[in-house]
Amino acid sequence: MSAADLRITAEPIDNGRCKFLVSEPIHAGGVRRFASPDEARGSPLPEAIFAIPGADVSEVIVSGNLVTVVKRSPAPWPVVGKAVGQAIRAALAGGQQAVVTKPAASGSATADDALYERVADLFESQVNPMVARHGGRVELIDVQDAVVMVRMGGGCQGCGMADVTLRQGIEAMLQQQVPEVKGIVDITDHTAGSNPYFAAAKK
Amino acid sequence: MQRPSPRLLLLLPTVTYRTVAFVEAARRLGVEVTVASERPSTFEQANPAGLVTLDFADPARAARQARAFARRHVLQGVVAVDDDTAVVAAAISEELGLRGNPVAAAAAARDKHQQRQRLAAAGVAVPRFELLTTAEDPERVARRASYPCVLKPLRLSASRGVVRADDAAGFVAAFQRLTAILEEPDVARCGDWARQILVEEFVPGREVAVEGLVTLGVLTVLAIFDKPDPLEGPFFEETIYVTPSRLAPTARQEVAACVQAAVGALGLREGPIHAEVRYNDRGAWLIELAARPIGGRCSAALRFTAGEGGTGNGEQQVSLEEIIIRHALGMSIPTIEREVQASGVMMIPVSGAGVLREVRGVGEARKVPLVEEVVITAHPGQALVPWPEGSRYPGFIFARGGTSEAVEAALRAAHAQLEFLTEPAD
Repeated sequence: MSAADLRITAEPIDNGRCKFLVSEPIHAGGVRRFASPDEARGSPLPEAIFAIPGADVSEVIVSGNLVTVVKRSPAPWPVVGKAVGQAIRAALAGGQQAVVTKPAASGSATADDALYERVADLFESQVNPMVARHGGRVELIDVQDAVVMVRMGGGCQGCGMADVTLRQGIEAMLQQQVPEVKGIVDITDHTAGSNPYFAAAKK
Repeated sequence: MQRPSPRLLLLLPTVTYRTVAFVEAARRLGVEVTVASERPSTFEQANPAGLVTLDFADPARAARQARAFARRHVLQGVVAVDDDTAVVAAAISEELGLRGNPVAAAAAARDKHQQRQRLAAAGVAVPRFELLTTAEDPERVARRASYPCVLKPLRLSASRGVVRADDAAGFVAAFQRLTAILEEPDVARCGDWARQILVEEFVPGREVAVEGLVTLGVLTVLAIFDKPDPLEGPFFEETIYVTPSRLAPTARQEVAACVQAAVGALGLREGPIHAEVRYNDRGAWLIELAARPIGGRCSAALRFTAGEGGTGNGEQQVSLEEIIIRHALGMSIPTIEREVQASGVMMIPVSGAGVLREVRGVGEARKVPLVEEVVITAHPGQALVPWPEGSRYPGFIFARGGTSEAVEAALRAAHAQLEFLTEPAD
């Protein structure tokens, strides 16, 4: 596929966060989260995104064909998004890996692995039985630097109350039962949800 | 003993589009939030402080439920997002002594007939109106009606069921069509209002929408949106909103004065309002006023800026939801000055009935200059229902630019790129 054929769809969540859905995979080795330019060093795509002038990017998460960018700047996404799109195109055209594979376990990675086990237990024993009552499921994708990454499916994907489930349900439960967790990131493509439990209906 | 932290009660019906905007605004403000819905979350037992079920259909009962909840978790403010929860919020604020509207005022704003009566009695310019029941003989009523007129349900949102009639035959057809909508199970069970029809004079003119915030009964206009597509009927599906309005300054002042008069006539005291006003050579006419903010995803078209004159250069940006939450909690509001740029949203019209299979052209629509976002909210497999039976827009297009004209043109150009592929419903 040439760079011209590459399709990138931006889905702003709010003024701080935006997901970019790319028509071809960027990183097949699970989820990579970069919370600083230092962490991105060696991976051309997040390096380029952190370097976007005026965006003040604070976080880049890459998983499969999804890139989630978090910024502190009030600059609107149409402006920053064009630069992110250019970075994605350039990284994929460059011929080298856009995102390098996760390095072998360091101290923090070991801690993340331990957290992953506890969060996975919580998801299996409590979270998923709860969302299953509405036909939903929540997949634990990864834990990086104590930030939990999830993907919602079934009745949760595209559900009008998915953000309530995420913030008031899952995040609150994590704060209580795994307080070492620093945050939760939803990397779901909610526009692809075909059977949401609650579909928005009013104007 | 440490006092529990005060928190915001956010009334979110499960069908609202507003969840993310309000929940994330509350998070940005660092506010503790309890989300109340009419149906239980599966996490309610796991997070009893953060989730609660209230009977939105019975505001008095919901207020008692909120009081019971507030004994365990102190509530400092309550925010509603739609017409029904606006009445619930009023009942809760009265019960708990929070900042809010009187129940009677919120209830009158929700009911189009009560609203007309109050406004007419106070001398606010409103169309002439008459209340009918669905049991009446439409042919008999049609003989004495004035034309053109508009038939409306008393409470349905998003112009669902609103039909214009230009003559007696049109009146009978509109009456029967609206009656059929009111007899649909989701509507019929809602109470007596679902057996009533408001007939009112059709008021020609340019229509604008006013977004405002009321404090101690005084209106602050946050934005006036032009609706450049003429809403002449026979149905009244909305499409484009663009601000700033291109009405002359004197006309905008008349519009604002009309809405302020309506706020006073209804007795609204606190919180957001959204009004529809027509303007013609006889002045400003109040078509509808709701005690809630703008609906759907449209609030994303509004951005307020503090500092540097709203130039968009590094200043603090505030969303409409943040302003509403701050107001409800009595927090200081950093700005109510809308950004300098023109901004607009198109509620994507439903071009035809069918089950959505695919939407094409989204990428091309996003590439149109000035277009900021194209959001498709309909999901594959969803039935698309045109107005007047329908009320769900399949998506929204947002644009910002130097002028309202440029924004409007960008919205139209982006919409022209979209193609909704449907298949016939079973």
